[in-house]
Amino acid sequence: MSLDHGRRNALKTLLFASLASSRLARAVAEPGPSRSVVFRARREKLLAAAGKVDPALLAAAVGAAVAGALGEGSPANGFKKIFKPSDVVGIKVNCIAGKGLSPRPTLVGLLSRWLQDAGLPPRNILVWDRTDRELTRAGFEINRGSSGVRIFGTNDEYDWKPREWGPNGSCFPRFLIEDVTALLNVAVLKDHDLAGVSLGMKNWYGAIHNPNKCHEDKCAPFIPHLSAFPLIHDKLRLTVVDAVTGQCHAGPGAAPKWSWPYQGVLASTDPVAVDAVGWGIIEDRRREVGLPSLANEKRAPSWIAAAGKLGLGEADPARIRVEEV
Amino acid sequence: MSQAELERRRFLQLLAGGCAACLAASGGFFPVLAEDPAAAGEVRAPGDAGLAPRKARWWKKKDGSRIECGLCPRHCVVADIERGACGVRENRDGEYYTLVHSRPCSIHIDPVEKKPFFHVLPGASALSLATAGCNFECRFCQNWEIAQARPEQVKSATVSPEEIAALAKKNGTPAIACTYTEPVVWSEYVYDIAVAGRKVGLKTLMVSNGFIEEEPLGDLCDVLGAVKIDLKAFTEAFYRQQCRGELKPVLQTLKRLAKHGMWTEIVVLIVPTLNDGDDEIRGLARFVRDELGAEVPVHFTRFHPSYRLMNLPATPIPTLERVWQLASAEGLHFVYLGNVPGHAAENTYCPGCKRMLIRRVGMATLENRIRDGRCPDCKRLIPGVWA
Repeated sequence: MSLDHGRRNALKTLLFASLASSRLARAVAEPGPSRSVVFRARREKLLAAAGKVDPALLAAAVGAAVAGALGEGSPANGFKKIFKPSDVVGIKVNCIAGKGLSPRPTLVGLLSRWLQDAGLPPRNILVWDRTDRELTRAGFEINRGSSGVRIFGTNDEYDWKPREWGPNGSCFPRFLIEDVTALLNVAVLKDHDLAGVSLGMKNWYGAIHNPNKCHEDKCAPFIPHLSAFPLIHDKLRLTVVDAVTGQCHAGPGAAPKWSWPYQGVLASTDPVAVDAVGWGIIEDRRREVGLPSLANEKRAPSWIAAAGKLGLGEADPARIRVEEV
Repeated sequence: MSQAELERRRFLQLLAGGCAACLAASGGFFPVLAEDPAAAGEVRAPGDAGLAPRKARWWKKKDGSRIECGLCPRHCVVADIERGACGVRENRDGEYYTLVHSRPCSIHIDPVEKKPFFHVLPGASALSLATAGCNFECRFCQNWEIAQARPEQVKSATVSPEEIAALAKKNGTPAIACTYTEPVVWSEYVYDIAVAGRKVGLKTLMVSNGFIEEEPLGDLCDVLGAVKIDLKAFTEAFYRQQCRGELKPVLQTLKRLAKHGMWTEIVVLIVPTLNDGDDEIRGLARFVRDELGAEVPVHFTRFHPSYRLMNLPATPIPTLERVWQLASAEGLHFVYLGNVPGHAAENTYCPGCKRMLIRRVGMATLENRIRDGRCPDCKRLIPGVWA
């Protein structure tokens, strides 16, 4: 995928179509969102036959969720609110599971386009994950060239100086330290064998050189502290979850038996709330297909509540408003 | 990564291998390969494209596609596409693979005293190598840039066990040392190297934290020549807080090594204020004396700030001397100090007549008076691997 192929006009058309939808109009007409609102956009037939995504419906859903989360009428206007044209925005994707259970390049392309519409030059947008290989396997086209949106894996380009972040110390990507000024977290909706679920906060494991040292105690001591680390916490503006396809069991690898077409997108400025909502969606699906709850499997994501206690966001589902758009 | 940073990393990796003097001439941290590029495969830049997974040993299938690793006491339960805590063993479609077999990230020729082995082939060299990875996370790790890295984050070469043995022979070293990182996590490679080495008359030495399960340890004991265990401390609290490990399994390993009759030396890095208490040292020495034998050499070495433990000073020499006295007073026959070049406690003395047997300065053996494994003066048997 190249993010610079001119789809601007088509996407704008789609966006206007989404803006015209009554659901979005209702959402943006309400008072500004609090930190604990998660915007959920689901579209029937988003996932068409043979697993193909309808690009128009995807644009509508992502646009509605992002615009809603940012309290603006369009995603580009929303991005204007949270990013300056001089920002360098790192879009962190989670591609470890490969195509089918990674953020879609099309979805990331939409975000990238809206960032450009918000005034950011393409070079100020950086799509990244751990390695080139993982990005390539998920369908992204590596671009380390001098023009266009940058897309690459950290590989070994860490700042080889460990930084303490609570229960662990890690090396972080050099570009995250020196270049990126703002973060957009693009996660997936999936079960995780150890952490219970993998959504937004778990995605930050892909930002450190030693994620294998962070799996003890169901990841509970690690995920909140890593999410609170200033390099991440202070730069994070928005979490978007590609929930077109979810997976309710046997993650983090792709297991088609347990995936299902959720046909939705989540977005929130509250990184804890969006994970809490995603967890609920996965539990609902597990019930539907007769699986025990994550708690019954002794792998409930207790780190979500711990993140709430750390003040990173709202973990209590009763205090989170889910806005359908 | 800038050129300057590349040079810095290369330099640190060289230091990790103890071959700083080779820097100018080596052209990398594979000085042995640099001198003989035809000896093995190309040196590969960091990246995951070159990973060559090989079926791992010592694991079992769990439900679904999950596996349970049986290599070390962590018993990591690993889901598909995930890795164990060591970062070098990966579940792929319900099968467990090692990613580092035949993929060393460092190869040097070191004196055996550097490991340190003081009772194994004094004055000899060992072809010393490491792959990425470790099952601990010591806050004071001296080689963290390779030990705490994943294989795709370090430069590596493709060198088979047979090629390692051939390199050792070619360079005239009587031993191969699996060292620098944690050989337990690359046990398959260690085993195959030891087998290949034995075929051509070489001893294979392992320098380890001892955090290994009984079955793989037994398999390795069948082929290894000697083992050095880093006993990090003598309290569970230290292991938990400073290493994210456990003491008890390491003590179990030491007992198993003794039972196997494996020549074993112990190193204890003395970290000021954290593991240098009188009672702790006495307890450690009593354990060695009572469970392993008073003849087992124990090296107390000097800590220098490193990795994530930068807020403590280097161990004061008087602290090391106090520790030496405490351990000696408990009846240990061979207590040494390390990282203190020129100190008298680097030498080996006969427990019988107290005369000096081996004189050392740093890693250099200057004089070795042991004859046929005995003190030349009082004829007392001196334990070790002398030939």
